[in-house]
Amino acid sequence: MFIGHFTEEPWQKEDWPLEWGSGVMQVSNSEYDPRLAAHLYNRYLDEKVYAEEVGFDGIMLNEHHSAPFCLNSVANVQAAILARITTKAKILLLGNILPIHDDPLWLAEQLAMIDVISKGRLIPGVVRGGGSESIAHNTPPHFNRERFEEAHDFLIKTWTTPGPFRWEGKHYQYRYVNPWAVPYQKPHPPMWVPGTASKETVEWAAQHRYPYIMLATQIELTQQMYKVYYDTAREEGYEAGPQHLGFMFFFHVEETEEKAMEYGRTLTMGVRSPFDPGVERPRPWIMSPPGISSKSARALQRQMLAVDSTGHTHAGARASFEDQVATNGMIVGTPDSVIPKIRYILETLRPGTILFRTGDGAMTHETQMRTLKLMGAEVLPRIREIAKELDLPGPYEVDPTTNEAYAAVAS
Amino acid sequence: MTTTPAAFTEETLQIADVSLQMRRGGAGEPLLILHGELGVPGWLKAYELLAEKYTVYVPSLPGFGESSVPDWLMSVRDLSAWTNWFIREYGISSPLNVIGFSLGGWLATEIATVNSALFKKMVLVGAGGIKPAQGEIWDYFMNSSREAFEQSFLGRDSEEYLKYYGRDWSPEEGDQIETNREGAIRLLWRPYMHSVTLPGLLPAIATPTLLVWGREDAVVPISSCELYQNGIAGAQAKIIEDCGHMPEMEKPEEFAKAVLDFLGS
Repeated sequence: MFIGHFTEEPWQKEDWPLEWGSGVMQVSNSEYDPRLAAHLYNRYLDEKVYAEEVGFDGIMLNEHHSAPFCLNSVANVQAAILARITTKAKILLLGNILPIHDDPLWLAEQLAMIDVISKGRLIPGVVRGGGSESIAHNTPPHFNRERFEEAHDFLIKTWTTPGPFRWEGKHYQYRYVNPWAVPYQKPHPPMWVPGTASKETVEWAAQHRYPYIMLATQIELTQQMYKVYYDTAREEGYEAGPQHLGFMFFFHVEETEEKAMEYGRTLTMGVRSPFDPGVERPRPWIMSPPGISSKSARALQRQMLAVDSTGHTHAGARASFEDQVATNGMIVGTPDSVIPKIRYILETLRPGTILFRTGDGAMTHETQMRTLKLMGAEVLPRIREIAKELDLPGPYEVDPTTNEAYAAVAS
Repeated sequence: MTTTPAAFTEETLQIADVSLQMRRGGAGEPLLILHGELGVPGWLKAYELLAEKYTVYVPSLPGFGESSVPDWLMSVRDLSAWTNWFIREYGISSPLNVIGFSLGGWLATEIATVNSALFKKMVLVGAGGIKPAQGEIWDYFMNSSREAFEQSFLGRDSEEYLKYYGRDWSPEEGDQIETNREGAIRLLWRPYMHSVTLPGLLPAIATPTLLVWGREDAVVPISSCELYQNGIAGAQAKIIEDCGHMPEMEKPEEFAKAVLDFLGS
């Protein structure tokens, strides 16, 4: 079992008007206070270092652009810092938004350097990104998938082929590919892929035998996507297992149920991600323009959200914190009460990777540190026991590219 | 006075690497319509008026309406080469008259820069393609399609606005509008709705040209009209008062008269 930590790193300001929502392309950066940002960046980095200390296997980072709900707009910057200030944890990028890069060679160089400085702890996951990311960096959404696939192929070739070589692709062209820095890990750092509900992305991940991490915290939808992975794997001639699949969920734990409900509630307050369940997605023609999703994905989105770019916005109302706890959209409680809920997820989905999304929304640093301490002492060890009992190997126990068990390394 | 049913036919052609949706009506000399970025909602009143004198061809351009789009087609200049191919393969006799609306105006201009002799006369209506001297071209892609239709009309009580846009859409109509938006994104994303090289090529055009602009065009500023007129030798301009970006739908009679006067002169 691979256990990771994730915080979206939202902007935190008590007087954030509710109508600003996630702030994605709705709020001027004249609202950005660099002094507050300095405090928040350092706070979030401190929490990640502590997550490593209490026993998390990996620290997940992501990025969004022009988005107050995610301060980490350049994931590689924090990844580079973590490469230096952490020592054991994997640095899990979920991930770089490949299609918005016009120069993926620069990206290959950055990631190679991070992998080297961290001495081989980088997982440089890749994503396609939503419409707002394409708008923010003005890259063509209609070629999102083509650019994703070509940039990916270019990264892998750059990391595995001695230079110099030429690249003459449809979207990228280079006459001299020969970056001095190449990755520490061989043949190249492990790729992981996160997703929500794009069938094409699941198929692509399975075709490449990359672990697929489901970010939408809905069990049934996750089962559907896992099935696509299993089916695709069989078509590709291998059996997928827990080492190929991951799941993220919101989480908060305290010594008492009362405190858990009181402080866990802050996960749903403040500047929220528009991608979270229960949060209204503003302006779908920006978040999900035609061309960025396949027609089938658009149909699914319409079905799920009843929105499209024609101006009809029928997004669901915000689900209350109580509703989300009751339906296990968020797992909140004491160590004794959360363990059966996590066991249910592990038994039902059989993932080899779980990511705890915590310290989010309007949660304070003190609360996050308190819950991390309790997780390290009373939650993580018990989850590892359950994973062993259920035989749920993570991608560092069984190699997803071969399905061979890694030799146990004496610690 | 009785209203005659719209006299047009619709068919799907396999032509020039595209499965093409083609509407046509009328009789007489050929008149090719190159539609704008919002696509063709139907057989418009303006087409009907023009079809009294001309054979009016209204293809849905690749990626719009029910027309497919080839993988290789990635820019308006690609589309101009495709349009030239389509005209030859379809067998429309040239030189032919052409009207280009907005995106289609840019498209017609691109073709004319390469081959001025293809078109007998050219009408550009609220044409994109050139960065305006004053103001900016309104950004469709930061706004919803419904907002785009609203932005395109000054008079939102006009008959065809209400008929096609200013009402609830069926799911099929919504899908069609999304498809057209995707087609527009493919061609217009960046640089947005203009070419940085087209202004330098305008003097290459020898086609007799009429520019038609709504005085209150809130999509392509009227300063673009002046740039076109200054760039294309002998170009005339007809400004339609109290009208937005789509005079062909907002003021069809006035629009059709201006075009017929120009083509018949």
